[in-house]
Amino acid sequence: MITQMQVKGLMFDPYNNAYIVILRDDDQAEMLPIWVGKSEASSISLALENVAPPRPMTHDFMKSYLDAFQAKVISVVITDLSENTYFSKIHLTYADSEYTVDSRPSDAIALALRSQAPIFASESVIRKQTSEELDQWLENLKPEDFGKLDS
Amino acid sequence: MEARASQTTEPLIQLVVNRVVEDSNTDTRIIVLARTDDAAEHFMVWVGASEGEAIKRALDAAITPRPMSHDLVKSFGEHLGIKTERVVLTDVKSSTYYATVFLENKGVARTIDARPSDAIALALRCQAPIYVTQDVWRRRSGQNLDAWLSKLETKEV
Repeated sequence: MITQMQVKGLMFDPYNNAYIVILRDDDQAEMLPIWVGKSEASSISLALENVAPPRPMTHDFMKSYLDAFQAKVISVVITDLSENTYFSKIHLTYADSEYTVDSRPSDAIALALRSQAPIFASESVIRKQTSEELDQWLENLKPEDFGKLDS
Repeated sequence: MEARASQTTEPLIQLVVNRVVEDSNTDTRIIVLARTDDAAEHFMVWVGASEGEAIKRALDAAITPRPMSHDLVKSFGEHLGIKTERVVLTDVKSSTYYATVFLENKGVARTIDARPSDAIALALRCQAPIYVTQDVWRRRSGQNLDAWLSKLETKEV
C-alpha cells in the first residue's frame, strides 16, 4: 500500500543543523518528516515557491536532462527507512518503457515538484515514522514555523 | 549558447579538473582546471559549497552511502541509455560562466544549458571531456589569480 503525500513545507532543525521537509497525506492524518541537507532544502524551497532562479539549479538541470529526451517522471515513492536514511524510487517513462531509479528522497521530491509528479510513501515508512517520538513535537509545531526558507 | 560554440571555427581548449579549493571566508569553492596542452595555465570557476563538494567527491572517487544528485543524473543516463558526450564552457557574462552539456542517445544529439558546476560534476562521473571556447578562455577572470590562490591555499594549511 502506498499513500499520496503533499509537501507541506520546510523547517530548520537547529539540533541537527539540517532541514526537514514535511510531507502530509491528503487527509492530514499521516505525517512524514524527512531530514535533508541545506542545498537540497533550498532546491525544494525554490520549487515550492515557484521561483525560477537566474541560472538552472541542480534539479532544474536534472529536469532539463530528462526533458531533452522526453523522459517523464511519472511518480516518486518513498519506500524505506533504515537508520534514519530514507530510500525512494523515481518512476520514469521513456520511449514507451518504464524505468525505476533508486534515489534519495530529497532528490526525488525536488524533481517531482518540478515535474508535477505525485509523491507517494509506502505504508511501512509512515508506520515506522509514527512510532518515533519526533512525531510528537512536529505535530505540535505551528503552521507559521513551516514555509519560507531563506537561502 | 550552443550556436555560439558551433559557429566558432577556433578549436576548443580541453581542460581537466586539477583541484577544488575551499574559500572558507565566503563558503564557496574554487574549481581549478588546467589545460591538457599546458598544465601551467589555469582556469578557475567559483561555485557554491555543495556544488564544489559534488565535484570533489568525483575527483576523489568517493563513495557515498546513497546516490548524490549528480550520481542520480548519471544513473538516469545509465537506465535510459543517454551518454554525456562532452561539456563546453561556452560563455561568460557579468562574471558568470555558462556551460553546455552535449548528450547523445541512439544517434539523437541534444544540448542542455547548465551551470559549470553541474556540467563538470556530471562530466567527471561520466568520463566526459571538458572544454572551454577560445573566447571564454581569453576572457577568464584575473591575471594574478594563481598567486592569490596559492596564498589562499597556504593560509588554510
